[in-house]
Amino acid sequence: MTGFELLVPASVEEAVAALRAGAADPPAVIAGGTDLLLDIDDGRVDPRRVLSLRRLPWRSLDWTDGALTVGSTLPLRSLEDDPEVRRRLPGLWQAVHAVGSVALRHRATLGGNLGRAAPASDLVPMLLALDAEVDLVGPRGDRRLSVDAFVRASRRTALLPDELIRSVRIPESRPSAYLWQRVRPANDISQIAVGVAFSPRERRWSVAVGGMPPRPALLAEVAHDLGDATPDDGVLRAAAVRASRAVSITSDQRASEEYRRRLVATLLLRAVRAVPLDGEGRP
Amino acid sequence: MTPPPGPLRVNGRPADLTGMPDSERLLDTLRWRLALKGTKEGCRTGDCGACTVLVDGRSTLSCLTLTREVDGSDVTTIDGAADDAEIARVSRAFAAAGALQCGYCTPGFVVALAGLLKERGSSAPVEELLDGLQGNLCRCTGYAAIVRGVALARAEAP
Ligand SMILES: Cc1cc2nc3c(=O)[nH]c(=O)nc-3n(C[C@H](O)[C@H](O)[C@H](O)COP(=O)(O)OP(=O)(O)OC[C@H]3O[C@@H](n4cnc5c(N)ncnc54)[C@H](O)[C@@H]3O)c2cc1C
Ligand code: FES
Ligand code: FES
Repeated sequence: MTGFELLVPASVEEAVAALRAGAADPPAVIAGGTDLLLDIDDGRVDPRRVLSLRRLPWRSLDWTDGALTVGSTLPLRSLEDDPEVRRRLPGLWQAVHAVGSVALRHRATLGGNLGRAAPASDLVPMLLALDAEVDLVGPRGDRRLSVDAFVRASRRTALLPDELIRSVRIPESRPSAYLWQRVRPANDISQIAVGVAFSPRERRWSVAVGGMPPRPALLAEVAHDLGDATPDDGVLRAAAVRASRAVSITSDQRASEEYRRRLVATLLLRAVRAVPLDGEGRP
Repeated sequence: MTPPPGPLRVNGRPADLTGMPDSERLLDTLRWRLALKGTKEGCRTGDCGACTVLVDGRSTLSCLTLTREVDGSDVTTIDGAADDAEIARVSRAFAAAGALQCGYCTPGFVVALAGLLKERGSSAPVEELLDGLQGNLCRCTGYAAIVRGVALARAEAP
């Protein structure tokens, strides 16, 4: 590792201008730094300049008309501490709580998790199941993309080199659950994770699976099979079997393919059963 | 664009960061620049919690934090136990419970627990405190004595 210069712009305009000016050799962006600094230590990136987002006004959380907007640099611990998040988006709360440790979550951010786009991200699957959208800022103006369109593969997103993630928007409160399997509960990577949510407005389920490359995926057909209410046991079991066959999984040092397929089915069963359709989250 | 070195305070005293490279980690600033060796380096990858310090009262992994990114903050380390009532209380509870053997993980556990008690108060269920310490590893004790130390620290908090 060689040293770098830290740029600390005081406004969004200044930040975008700095990214633009450095187009030939763009600075690396740092939010919490919990992914970036490891990438620097491991030599995966070796930036000459690093652009800090700490002075940008993005440590925000806002509920308007039932939609939640989370600023990209809000520490995950603050997201977890919002009582409305736990009540109205229980699956999101569980996913955030699953990230690393308390001390990690005091710095790690939602923007950084999306920017890293790790195949084992705990936040991407739940954001997919909640139909979340990402708001980007750049020199050509703002744009909004679904998380599904934004995340491509490990370290690959739809973000252009001169753009920044401003915020993430979750359109409505949803009864939801996020379950994972790991060897160690904290600071470990999920072997498989399943996020499920029910849209009260559209009366439909969504199902996402994480913990496998190239990226977490939505299982639209499985979600459709779950129907428009709490599925009965036979329907749920059939959907779980379908889910375990539908995912494209391989064996690696963390778990075998067969074990992972079983995990998909088991976690899906448990997650759907854990979602109280008459509980909070229903408008 | 980089602002001049900000007034970082460590254990209540302004830290002299003259000439510090922008890429320096808080862990290295504390241990090598300021010679505060209480904070330990276990893994340098965020996995062990040995390097935990408080930044404005919140537990933070100093190995994964750029010092420049916390300019203007108050950093509290185990070396500041004399001036931080919560850290002092948790240290006494850990000693009373015999919650350590080699002691390498202890500064991290003590500071992380002091941070949790500041955040959540002593009325927080002990399960929540233990859950909040999942990011701290100990290679010696088998954790049973640490769990007792946590319960004792909670019982003795005001
Ligand atoms: C010990 C340890 C345990 C972990 N455990 C988990 C876990 O359980 N689950 C999990 O999902 N993750 C985990 N992580 C990964 C990491 O902590 C998370 O991905 C975290 O959310 C990253 O946020 P950050 O702000 O620290 O990102 P940073 O490191 O600051 O940034 C990550 C990437 O995103 C880019 N970026 C950041 N913010 C923006 C923005 N606003 N606009 C554009 N680009 C941006 C950066 O340039 C960088 O490429 C763990 C990491 C460690 C070290
Ligand atoms: S040294 Fe920082 S977490 Fe291990
Ligand atoms: S007492 Fe030795 S590592 Fe915990």
